[in-house]
Amino acid sequence: MKAEVFIAGDCIISPLGTGSRRNFEKLLLGETAISPIDDPALADHPIHAARIADNQWVGKIRNPQHYTRLETLFILAIQQLIDAHRIPVDERTLVLLSTTKGNVSLLHNPAAQFPPTRVHLSAMAHEIQRYFGFANQPITISNACISGALALSVARQLLQYNEAYDHALVIGGDEISKFIVSGFDAFQALSDGRCRPFDRDRNGLNLGEAIAAAYVSKNASDGAICIKAAGSSNDANHISGPSRTGEGLYRSICEAMRLADDPMLDFISAHGTATVYNDEMEAIALHRCGLSETPLHSLKAYYGHTLGASGLLETILGLHSLRTNQLIPSLGFQHPGTSKPLNVITQPLARPLKTFLKTASGFGGCNIAMVFEKV
Amino acid sequence: MDAPSYHIQSYCMIRDRTIAVNGTTFLKTNADLTLADFLKSAYRQLDIDYPKFHKMDSLCKAVLIAAELMDRTSGPYASDTALIFSNRSSSYLSDNKHATGIFDTENPTASPATFVYTLPNIALGEISIRHQLHSENVFFIFDRYLPEFLVPYTNAALDDKPIKSAIGGWVEIGEHTCDLLLYHIGKSGDIPHTVAELKRIYNEHE
Amino acid sequence: MSELTEELKAKIISQLNLEDLTVDDLDDNTPLFGNGLGLDSIDALELIVMLDKSYGIKLSDPKEGRKVFETVQTMADFIEANRK
Repeated sequence: MKAEVFIAGDCIISPLGTGSRRNFEKLLLGETAISPIDDPALADHPIHAARIADNQWVGKIRNPQHYTRLETLFILAIQQLIDAHRIPVDERTLVLLSTTKGNVSLLHNPAAQFPPTRVHLSAMAHEIQRYFGFANQPITISNACISGALALSVARQLLQYNEAYDHALVIGGDEISKFIVSGFDAFQALSDGRCRPFDRDRNGLNLGEAIAAAYVSKNASDGAICIKAAGSSNDANHISGPSRTGEGLYRSICEAMRLADDPMLDFISAHGTATVYNDEMEAIALHRCGLSETPLHSLKAYYGHTLGASGLLETILGLHSLRTNQLIPSLGFQHPGTSKPLNVITQPLARPLKTFLKTASGFGGCNIAMVFEKV
Repeated sequence: MDAPSYHIQSYCMIRDRTIAVNGTTFLKTNADLTLADFLKSAYRQLDIDYPKFHKMDSLCKAVLIAAELMDRTSGPYASDTALIFSNRSSSYLSDNKHATGIFDTENPTASPATFVYTLPNIALGEISIRHQLHSENVFFIFDRYLPEFLVPYTNAALDDKPIKSAIGGWVEIGEHTCDLLLYHIGKSGDIPHTVAELKRIYNEHE
Repeated sequence: MSELTEELKAKIISQLNLEDLTVDDLDDNTPLFGNGLGLDSIDALELIVMLDKSYGIKLSDPKEGRKVFETVQTMADFIEANRK
């Protein structure tokens, strides 16, 4: 009999502040981290994005000049979890890092303060391992925008199949940089205002940055939420455009629901990037799964698309919904804008909540769906 | 120790300018051929009509070639064949190209066709499209090829679900170099899917 | 005009990595997308970058893009009308 695996603790560092509870409360108040940013270091035109302020991280770790900005944020989040839950750093603890581009802001950047070798994700993992003295080499997952959720799924599998491990620390994060902004710009994927997931007038995404961290364990402590199931399938259609039939996401959701014994879902935390194509694809996939009526939100208008953090960040906020029995509205939504209907949450709502579905999709045609359930 | 449940049905190694399948050379060119020309020669030798190949970066080209060769040997792939890949440099070649473009002082440019390849899992997407694989993908970053991690992880993934096959391995592609070992794993086959066997294969062509 | 179409064909082939094509293979009126050359959404974005970098024309409306990029000839016509 496979062990059940739970999320027993979590931490968020975002432009809305440090601490997942603080972040959750801000969402209930309808606060957004997205604002206009006019920074030539990022782009030659103003963009709407969500960036973590310097004062949230400067000078708060040992030997700070040795670590890049992103490494510092990862370290802060890990330290929070280790302190809160007294997690050992020995061979019984796994460490999983989720990031799409890591320290890429250093690459060919004349303003870089670190050598280009630091761009390698394995170098970043090594720095983090050394800082804490983790016995196990961190496992880095870089799988586009599903990385954060995928890392949770991988952690679960590793804990279930290995008696040698008791705990896993799963941390996801990415940084806004010229590298990333210029790329999404070239894709004409950026909105000219705050993004509007699933809305009729949506016209693109906002980029954001955040660090999300979860403490995953085989022990169901107070408030622990069970990672019930995960399903993942590629669209096999196009490397950047989502499948018009939502094939990969549809299969992912079907598999996750089947493995979770077809639970009654209380809400869905969708990927909802607010691009014309993504949201349409998701609506189609969810409709094919018979989930058009399930209350749904996207959190992208609060945080922007946080790439390697997004799957994990949005899951953690979903966990807080379960714990406090409060649904978070889908910010930015006014008029239905998909060919298949969705039950978009438009107001904060208090009701008993037990189970939710998290979906994520990414470049490369990858998709993931995960079911989380209150114990 | 229990008998291994899974076996390597075929494997492809691309080392520098040699491509071999199950230990038999498919192509060997001059050492001074550029990586791009080497991969193009391999494409021509494969004799497939797949113009998308030319849009890919070297990482994706190398992966596509290896997947094609294994498909001919132990395919066709089941549509739920899991893809469990790893490397050290992620998508470095494309990252480098994109970063060079945007920081160019005279003519800063961002090319969408380059940017799309700045994620290592795009290689999984490319072979999913080519072989119509609707399966789980995961791309791990390690500082070296780590069968000690990949073998148990892959075996557990196969035990856990109705899927019965996977393609896994190491795809470290540099500006001029190629260190690729991919293998098609299934229930039957001549070579047991074990750490010892994979280390033997990986090292025997050194 | 034909100098521009020849120049465009060479640029398209090189920019979009259409390795197996020569300028002579590309007809002025072959549909670039759909059933003709079969270009995709990334190719369309690359053509937008090319219009900007090589001819100084910024195209931000994707619907306009569809009309402009129908054939080499429509591209040439658009460039002649709008180039700086």
